[in-house]
Amino acid sequence: MTAILTYRDALLRTMRDALDQRPDTIIFGQGVDDHKGTFGSTLGLAREFGAGRVMDVPLAEEATTGIAIGAALNGMYPIHVHIRADFALLAMNQLVNLAAKYKYTFGGRFEVPMLVRLVVGRSWGQGAQHSQSLQSLFAHVPGLVVVAPATAGAVLDAYAWAIHRHRGPVIGIEHRLLYDLKFEVDEERPSQETGLGSRKVREGRDVTIVATSIMVLEAQRAAAHLAQVSDIDCEIIDLYSPSHPDHALILDSVKKTGRLVVADTSWQAYGVAAEICRVVCEAAPSALLAPVVTLGMQPAPCPTAKVLEDLFYPSLRDLVDALARVASGRADHGVPVPDEHSMADVYKRFKGPF
Amino acid sequence: MLYQALRIRLVEERIIELYPTDKIQSPVHLSIGQETVAVGVCRSLTPRDLLFCSYRSHAFYLAKGGDLGEMFAELYGKVTGCCRGKGGSMHLAAPDVGLMGASAVVASVIPHAVGAALAAKRLGKDHLNVAVFGDGATEEGVYHESLNFAALHALPVIFVCENNGLAVHARQSARQAYRITSLAKTYGIAAVTISDGHDPVKVHRAFSAAVRRARRSGRPQLLEIMTCRYREHVGPGEDIAAGYRTAAEIDRWKARDPLILEAKRLAPDRARILAEIDAAVEFAERSPWPDKTELLADVL
Repeated sequence: MTAILTYRDALLRTMRDALDQRPDTIIFGQGVDDHKGTFGSTLGLAREFGAGRVMDVPLAEEATTGIAIGAALNGMYPIHVHIRADFALLAMNQLVNLAAKYKYTFGGRFEVPMLVRLVVGRSWGQGAQHSQSLQSLFAHVPGLVVVAPATAGAVLDAYAWAIHRHRGPVIGIEHRLLYDLKFEVDEERPSQETGLGSRKVREGRDVTIVATSIMVLEAQRAAAHLAQVSDIDCEIIDLYSPSHPDHALILDSVKKTGRLVVADTSWQAYGVAAEICRVVCEAAPSALLAPVVTLGMQPAPCPTAKVLEDLFYPSLRDLVDALARVASGRADHGVPVPDEHSMADVYKRFKGPF
Repeated sequence: MLYQALRIRLVEERIIELYPTDKIQSPVHLSIGQETVAVGVCRSLTPRDLLFCSYRSHAFYLAKGGDLGEMFAELYGKVTGCCRGKGGSMHLAAPDVGLMGASAVVASVIPHAVGAALAAKRLGKDHLNVAVFGDGATEEGVYHESLNFAALHALPVIFVCENNGLAVHARQSARQAYRITSLAKTYGIAAVTISDGHDPVKVHRAFSAAVRRARRSGRPQLLEIMTCRYREHVGPGEDIAAGYRTAAEIDRWKARDPLILEAKRLAPDRARILAEIDAAVEFAERSPWPDKTELLADVL
């Protein structure tokens, strides 16, 4: 049976299931118990499960992250929600120096099971400190698992794994523009609970697109466009776990298509784009028939003016153009590109400030 | 308690002896001069009680009941070490006796004790949760964040500040515009200074009283215990010649140091402890190195 679920519905369901199925779960973070409930993803849970299990916190990200670690060490499952991913930078000491290293440094004698949810803001002038996609920062550090669910189904799988299977810290990257989108979820599908690996979401012949988070949906839109206006056939891999991608899946695809485009939600330098290039260059450099093209944010902090913001993020136009260039080997490929310059205009179904 | 304090001192003196051999390839932050604080605090604790401490944790590891052989093996980088050789001196742990993972980043385990107390309260566990840190740690933002959270949620954490007056080589007066106990009181946390950190009985009494207050009120407590670090910040030596403090400052503490004053009475204990240390060092020497599989084990 197929159900229609928004990304937000999927988040709310995983949060409720965690509270319901694991009595040791607590959810805490700024605003998790208020009338907005972290964009609806925790809405009503404080009333249903009590203030002791769904609690607001002081504005103290390092301490609350450390408190999550201490609670995890003493038998609880904490879910720490940051309404903006950028705020987690205040907790880097606890996440990078402590949570990521606790099991290893102490010879496997402790475990720190916890989920840290980071909401990535975008559009409507979120600006430099409300918009960053920090997956590569965390994926760089051994000991952390980073997941960037691109669909409602991916949320159900990745977070169920984090909460019920994995015994360590998991960082979930949630793109705010995804929250209102509806996804088909097969309620009777075999469980794919995992936070590791990558997923092929479209079979294709000519170009491999490795994409993260909302760029997976952009890749699907670009592939659909190209299928209509050209004979370019794209294969799409949802990176899914930026910290633990499926190298074999990516390499097999690149060996088949000979062409690679990486589309990430963050900056290319030292990030997902660079990492996927490393994987391919190290393991299968001769598989590439054309230079790799990567798309990401422009190398600047995020500006607020919409005209600049639209230039800052790659658009569908940029992606289609990149794919056509890589597939044809020519800048003047002649493939019609869509007249769309702002991804936010397409996805944004909400009005600011939140 | 003096026996325990002497045991810690002799262990660290053995570390000093061994250090030139380079068999201990790990920075050591010695507790010599501060042993009585650890012993006085841990006297009231059972293995079920959780204690979170810093990189200067040899004393608390031993006072809490950590295994001596596993400690030396850890310093040697042997697989039989308390952390399989992956932690070293700054990251000792003994979960079986409630000594949680020690951190080399100042103040970073303070919120762990608060989180453990939150979990204990929610799960109906009645063990104690103790955070041990130095005076420098009180300058970190996370210390204040942790005090606020513990007070706000009425968590009976016991915060123990070992005040040796120094952060590396910087004096407390050059670093702090506040008094540690006064500031804690503004959070509604009962805070007491114990000026006789060299006296394990006084430390023990003060800590036991704090435990009683915590249990009775369900609220956090803070103890500031004055003490003296005889040695350099890191390493086996003394560094009076560096000029940041005088020998007289340390001598004032040594003049009251029960391990020095009662050396004669403790002589028989000394022999017994040295034999125990010999056996622990021998265990470390004989133990195998971690094999290659350890490198990537326990990352996730």
